[in-house]
Amino acid sequence: MAKLRISVDYDICVGNRMCETFASKVFVINENGQSEVADPEGDTEENILEAAENCPVSAITVVDEETGETLFP
Amino acid sequence: MVTSITDDMFTGEAIADPYSYYGKIRDEDPVYWNDLYELWVITKHDDLVWMTRHHELFSSEFWKRDQRSPYPPIDESDMGLYGYMREFFMDWFIQHDRPVHTDQRKVVHKWFNPKSMEMWRPMVQQVIKDMLDEADQNSKMDVMKDFAVPLPLFIIAQMMGMPYQDRQFIRSMAEKLLFIGRGEADRMQPLVDGIKELQEYLAPMVDMHMDLPTDEDNLLSVLTSGGKNGVLTRDEVVANAILLLLAGHETTINLICNGTLAFMQHPDQWQLLKEDNLESPNAVVRATEECLRYDPPVKSIQRVASEDVELGGKMLKEGDRIRWFISSANRDPGKHPDPDTFDITRWPNTHVAFGSGIHHCLGATLARLEAQEAFKTLAERYGKITLDTDEFEYQPSITFRSLKTLPVSLE
Repeated sequence: MAKLRISVDYDICVGNRMCETFASKVFVINENGQSEVADPEGDTEENILEAAENCPVSAITVVDEETGETLFP
Repeated sequence: MVTSITDDMFTGEAIADPYSYYGKIRDEDPVYWNDLYELWVITKHDDLVWMTRHHELFSSEFWKRDQRSPYPPIDESDMGLYGYMREFFMDWFIQHDRPVHTDQRKVVHKWFNPKSMEMWRPMVQQVIKDMLDEADQNSKMDVMKDFAVPLPLFIIAQMMGMPYQDRQFIRSMAEKLLFIGRGEADRMQPLVDGIKELQEYLAPMVDMHMDLPTDEDNLLSVLTSGGKNGVLTRDEVVANAILLLLAGHETTINLICNGTLAFMQHPDQWQLLKEDNLESPNAVVRATEECLRYDPPVKSIQRVASEDVELGGKMLKEGDRIRWFISSANRDPGKHPDPDTFDITRWPNTHVAFGSGIHHCLGATLARLEAQEAFKTLAERYGKITLDTDEFEYQPSITFRSLKTLPVSLE
């Protein structure tokens, strides 16, 4: 599995927690009620991309660490 | 305490200008006890965001948990209707807390995610073009009746597979359901009439989808899949179909109307959009966010305290009714510099028009897409749009910010 660089834009994140329901080991909710990347290797690439895709405000970016390719959005 | 203010939130002044009414409360007593309706009025941005992100403290099960008399009072003889209405609203997925809320939302969540919604953009563009082609024939239109209503109604009806000719019926029933945010003592009858007629209309369609394989291209079929796998009962599928139909167009109507009015009242910003729109694809995105902030479609949202909570030096007791005001939070000077200025370049724009937290509006991306295309097309297509009235009347609702009409001339 490719190594992923996952980031959350805090200006955008509304704390909808959908990412948490799709990949609960990767995304955890911080004290501001926003999503934080706890473990980028905590789930399959498929589930991580599904979490990013289902963010209602597109706050999550997923990049392939090795190739630099943006996998989402 | 707030000096010299009436607790009646339905007065002509508070309906016409909620920004002054709730702004005064925000400035003087931001966590305010409204003694007349026995509820907490929350007006600051930070408090609203904090509350939305502590869903465990503020329950969405309003109709289930609130045992007090309805506010404002209703006719005594309508208490039976009130009971029917409560039972109906309890079935909406947004009226649940975790974990039920998450399970039910997930039935349709993917349908509304940004990637899925993008596929609808070409259809939205086409519908807008057709509507404006028609309006051009007499160079005048009522932005409400001729544009803001039919556009989102067409799209949600299309998504749900409703026959074209049913749209007028759907709209008139939806208008009855909007009595939910109003104060008239006899409001229960139209409200319950609307609920019952929509239930009768949708139930056979839901039953049909229950017996068919799920069609991923039909929102009603996708929702009904929740009935097949036991996440929703059949009655809950019907109730949530009504919710999607109603929420899928009512709020976007207000966004398009209120936004168009804001542009007409700020010609410099309209000119700026017309110029920037051609250069940057971000211009209309940012402009739409500012419309959402400046004059949001939904004014307020209800909750019930799940336990005793201290907020802003006040003690909210378990079971207390709460109403937070988006229209006040979006004008909070503690969050937005020059909050009463309509500035379409404002960025980042951290308004709360769609709420926040786990109940953040499911249809936000659709509303944004429709409004972006509406404003973009108006800006590209017309040299000048002139208001044909200087009197703006709003529906007497504390939930929705809805103009009654918005007549303009097109050049």
